[in-house]
Amino acid sequence: MTRLGFDDVGFTYPGATVPALTGCSFAAGAGAVTWLTGALGAGTSTALLLAAGLAPMHTGGLRTGRIHTLGLDPAEDGAARALGGRVALVLSTPATQLSGIAETVAQEVAFAPANLGWPRDRIHAGVGRALEALAIPHLATRDPTTLSGGEMQRVVIAAMLVLEPELWLLDEPTSALDVDGRALLHRLLRSEALRGAAVVVASEDADGLATVADRLVVLTAGRVALDGVPQDLLRGDRIWDAGAGSTSIGTLARVAGVAAPRPLSVDEGVARWAR
Amino acid sequence: MTLAPGALAARAHPFTPLVVTAAIAVAAIALPGAMATVALYAATVILVLATGAGRAALRALVPLAPLWLFLFLLHGVLGDGSRVTVAGLSLSRDGLTLAVTQGARLGAIATASLALYAAFSPARFVDAVAERGWPFSAAYLVVATLLALPRFRARAVVILEAQRSRGLRLRGSVINRIRAIGPVTFPLLLGALAEVDERGFALETRCAAGTVRRTALAPPADRMADRMVRWAAALSAGAAVVWRVFG
Amino acid sequence: MGPVTPLVMESVGFRYGADPVLHEVSLRLEAGEGVALLGPNGAGKTTLTRLAMALRHPGTGRVVTVGRDTDGRRPEDLADVAGYLFQQPSAQLFERTVRAEIAFGPGRLGWPAGQVEKAVASVLEELGLEAISDQHPYDLPEPTRRLVALGAALVSAPLLLLLDEPTAGLDREARARVARVVGSRRAAGAAVLAVTHDLGFAVEALDRAVVLEHGRIREDAPLLGIVGRDAKYPAPPLLALHRRLGLGAVRPTVGAMAPLLTSHPETGTLEA
Repeated sequence: MTRLGFDDVGFTYPGATVPALTGCSFAAGAGAVTWLTGALGAGTSTALLLAAGLAPMHTGGLRTGRIHTLGLDPAEDGAARALGGRVALVLSTPATQLSGIAETVAQEVAFAPANLGWPRDRIHAGVGRALEALAIPHLATRDPTTLSGGEMQRVVIAAMLVLEPELWLLDEPTSALDVDGRALLHRLLRSEALRGAAVVVASEDADGLATVADRLVVLTAGRVALDGVPQDLLRGDRIWDAGAGSTSIGTLARVAGVAAPRPLSVDEGVARWAR
Repeated sequence: MTLAPGALAARAHPFTPLVVTAAIAVAAIALPGAMATVALYAATVILVLATGAGRAALRALVPLAPLWLFLFLLHGVLGDGSRVTVAGLSLSRDGLTLAVTQGARLGAIATASLALYAAFSPARFVDAVAERGWPFSAAYLVVATLLALPRFRARAVVILEAQRSRGLRLRGSVINRIRAIGPVTFPLLLGALAEVDERGFALETRCAAGTVRRTALAPPADRMADRMVRWAAALSAGAAVVWRVFG
Repeated sequence: MGPVTPLVMESVGFRYGADPVLHEVSLRLEAGEGVALLGPNGAGKTTLTRLAMALRHPGTGRVVTVGRDTDGRRPEDLADVAGYLFQQPSAQLFERTVRAEIAFGPGRLGWPAGQVEKAVASVLEELGLEAISDQHPYDLPEPTRRLVALGAALVSAPLLLLLDEPTAGLDREARARVARVVGSRRAAGAAVLAVTHDLGFAVEALDRAVVLEHGRIREDAPLLGIVGRDAKYPAPPLLALHRRLGLGAVRPTVGAMAPLLTSHPETGTLEA
């Protein structure tokens, strides 16, 4: 079941001479992790903002084409209300997503559910589970403004997880996370997909997502250049032509002159090159 | 600035310090004459001490002292009307009265405001508003306004550190100090504006724009004492206005 | 007078209010060294770098930055010899153009205009920012702004570079650029101390690891002795492959490893 659909979508930011997206079409289904990638400026972040309805409403600009998010056009009146709590948007700069009024991390995670009028018991239980899932129960009473970048990112993700969203939109969610945090997030993306959510993640981290994503959509200058099975695309040449890259091992293989299909993981690299 | 442990100011219902401070401000502006305003200032200081926010009274002296000096010079020394000699200085009698009145007004407002800042808890306030069933946006407006100043200060510290690490000198000649203004205030203002933008964005992603009644996570108790104090404060402020208009 | 040691910390202790943050920390950085400051959140890593820049002063012990005792000194007193990159670098940007932004520091240090221009041009080229040098920093995306802030820290050619999460929020290309820049600065004699959880960057650009836990130095050893050997710091893919293939002294980077792995088309074996 498609939870997010882009149909020939174009978008230009106000004052921009070049559109951020052109003729962009792709779909993300429930129970799957869809990975969006592209060079810096290819339009992956813009696509997420459009899906969440923040563009053009908060950013200004002109949108063409059709988008359906959980069956609704996110730019239409009333969509925000109907989608509230069902779509989770996690931006790449966690500090900008804090509510600014929570005195503790627990209150921060409870912020959205409280806004949705959930009963107190349900909120408390949900907050506890979300903090556990992000391995941060020890941060429950901390002041959110004293958190490090990585801790903040976990808190924001927990604050979305508590809502049990139907659609996840994550923009470079591991940018500030340490090794443990990245592994935890990857496990979380899979478990959310298992729960039935549609997970859409914009990321450059091929090493991390190669084995996590079910689908890879590559954007080049605002247009969908490739759409397919991640491992297949990462092993080939077209992804490089599209301006994106591969895993560390895949990149090494390419520079070392190995023809496609190239090894992607360390094990595959050893198999390829060990005497 | 922290309150004394168990301070009354922190245990009161969030609306109480707000209403009291507003009432003091209204009374400070409305009350005529030196005696009334000085009495109000004294009462404010006593109130602030009694509710555990005593440090606010002291802190308020920092901006008040130069203001008082200014008022003294402007009205007391340079004022018109009959003169009186004090310690060899020729001072205007009416000017002195005016200086004391204005000084007391400012004193009451500054002291009450600082105490409010120390006692204000955004989470408790939001819960109090939610408990009443009022819209979250109203609560947010109040909180954002009150927190704007501390946020600004915190931001200024961060910017100052960064610029000093690049060689910005704050001490020394007047030229130096003037040159230091731009590198601190520009990013401060730009950042503050950008933050307002970002905050709107962020709140949208956190479902804050809905019309559903928000759940109060830990609703603060609204005791009889709280209600009585608020009514008393409001009535007193009203009385001060009436006195000013008809007195 | 011989060359100055970029950083010496002797038995440094530091408390934040009543909370002890650093305890008996002793550390020495020589010219050209690159140290990754590792450890869990709250271990005191950022605090340590702030002490080195005289943003804070130690409660006990001594901090000597490029030959200057930080006691009685302020960050502006070290700005000509040390450069600091903050975790949220965008907050400091204020000039109308990227060029002016980077030129701010040397201007304050009293450099003659010609020298400032040269240094700025060099840094713009180093970081690949020439194309946007006349744009307003606020119009740029966050990763680019972070590079501008790094440029501002580098432009005065500091002998000690203090970097707090220099690759956070950067895209792949920018991360590679930062690694190259750190490498070339070290080759020119600067010492680099970087708080980082990006082990790929650390392995590429740095050579020593100092692990800070609960305010104490738990370990101070060559980076490759810790990454991939300590479960808390797993080897990034290239390093892991490097070890399993036994590639020896070659650096664990794409550029250094690829020539060794280029295979013969006919025989399919590795070139020696």
